[in-house]
Amino acid sequence: MSVAGTLALAAAESLGAVASESAVGAAPAFIGEAADWEFVFRNADYLGVGALLTIGLTVASILLGFLVGFPAGAVEVYGDGSLKRAVSVAGVVLRGTPIVVILIVMYFVVGVPQINLGVASVSSAVTAGILGLGLRSAAYQSQIFRAALSSVDAGQLEAGRSIGLSRFEAVRHVVVPQALRRSLPGFQNEFTIVLKDTSIVFAIGLAELLTRGYDLFSEQTTAVLEVILFISAIYFVLTFTTNRALDRLGDRYAIPEGESA
Amino acid sequence: MSDDDFLRVADVSKWYGDEQVLEDVSFEMDRGDVTVLIGPSGSGKSTMLRCVNRLAEAQEGSILLDGEEVLSPDLDVDDLRREVGMVFQGFNLFAHLSARGNVALGPRRVLGLSDADAGERAEEQLDRVGLADQLDSYPAELSGGQKQRVGIARALAMEPKLMLFDEPTSALDPELIGEVLEVMHGLVDEGMTMLVVTHEMSFAREVADEVVFLDEGRVVERGPPDQLFERPDEERTGRFLERIASHD
Repeated sequence: MSVAGTLALAAAESLGAVASESAVGAAPAFIGEAADWEFVFRNADYLGVGALLTIGLTVASILLGFLVGFPAGAVEVYGDGSLKRAVSVAGVVLRGTPIVVILIVMYFVVGVPQINLGVASVSSAVTAGILGLGLRSAAYQSQIFRAALSSVDAGQLEAGRSIGLSRFEAVRHVVVPQALRRSLPGFQNEFTIVLKDTSIVFAIGLAELLTRGYDLFSEQTTAVLEVILFISAIYFVLTFTTNRALDRLGDRYAIPEGESA
Repeated sequence: MSDDDFLRVADVSKWYGDEQVLEDVSFEMDRGDVTVLIGPSGSGKSTMLRCVNRLAEAQEGSILLDGEEVLSPDLDVDDLRREVGMVFQGFNLFAHLSARGNVALGPRRVLGLSDADAGERAEEQLDRVGLADQLDSYPAELSGGQKQRVGIARALAMEPKLMLFDEPTSALDPELIGEVLEVMHGLVDEGMTMLVVTHEMSFAREVADEVVFLDEGRVVERGPPDQLFERPDEERTGRFLERIASHD
């Protein structure tokens, strides 16, 4: 049975239990004394390790996605010939393939090796997870940056060229700084999506936050809601804080606008 | 036509697809001259101007600037443009940079000045156009007239030997036109060589050494402003000037 299926079933059972208890006047299991929070806290470190993997996968994938996706978006706007075609085909293929399939291909078909960083080594499954999530994110990020670059008025590039900047320099110093600012809302979305999609690395045997939560409540089915709520809270805190941080970044670099203009 | 013209435009033609937008356009300028291109919209005057710094590509003819062929395929257009300043109708100020940043970008990135030297040059040029008090303002915080003056300072900061003005006052509210024309008058007094596309006939009359009237991509008539405005040889020139005058 699929994880999602089991999860839904377990959640439904737990909700059913809540409903029947409420019917006889007892407090719902997830807020009353009967709630199994103690089980959750006993296993907090187990979930914590999962959360660390989730954060690591997210940061590495978003970073890889940016490093590949930004130039890819620029090639789609400013490139031509076979490079532009290759980039846009790669993007279409990556966006059109389910993430589970991408991860399985990375792990089982491409066979990414384990990476030794001296102090720590990254298992081949983690490497495959980062590559799969990162390249897919690159495909999505490329479209965010393509839209942002295209939205900058053509007169900006022309003015840059008119003072003697090369095309590359004019794009870099005039268009890119404006496009990056405009891509922030789309980038916030993408960050949130990647964060939550890291859970799909269960397909290549990795146990991050959600998978570890699933392991826990499969073991103790009375604590399904508690575990799910606890995990959701962690996702929420991660999403909320990073989005706020990116909002701050956007405010900090906002271009001043006049009152009348 | 002498061999030592500073700018010599000869038989320039340009097509967009099948449509010919410039047809054998020719005129010359000496160093320090002010030439004004006038004509109805769609006459090709802006296109002609943009051919001089290769923002538009002429397909036929010759443009000699200081003895160098501008239309040569071997020419480095970036080298050309660092010597030819351009002011745009729509300002095209770099939206993410302050007035100082706008003016300093060329000196910093093209001429390779240090941040401090480029900033200093920007301040000098902004002072020159009367904006010493707006160094840190962003384009969206400036009036149209102020924006265009930053645009002029940005071009001047490259110390160009020729300035191109593409309808510099057409996007401005009437009460803001004066401050931009005043700056342009100042440049004329300093001896700047200027090629100007404009509908400001009083400006043309006051400062132009030659006025070139273009219609449908062709030079209909050219001459000193007194002659062209008072005694045009061509009927079309007279009709155009009357239409313009009736709007003033």
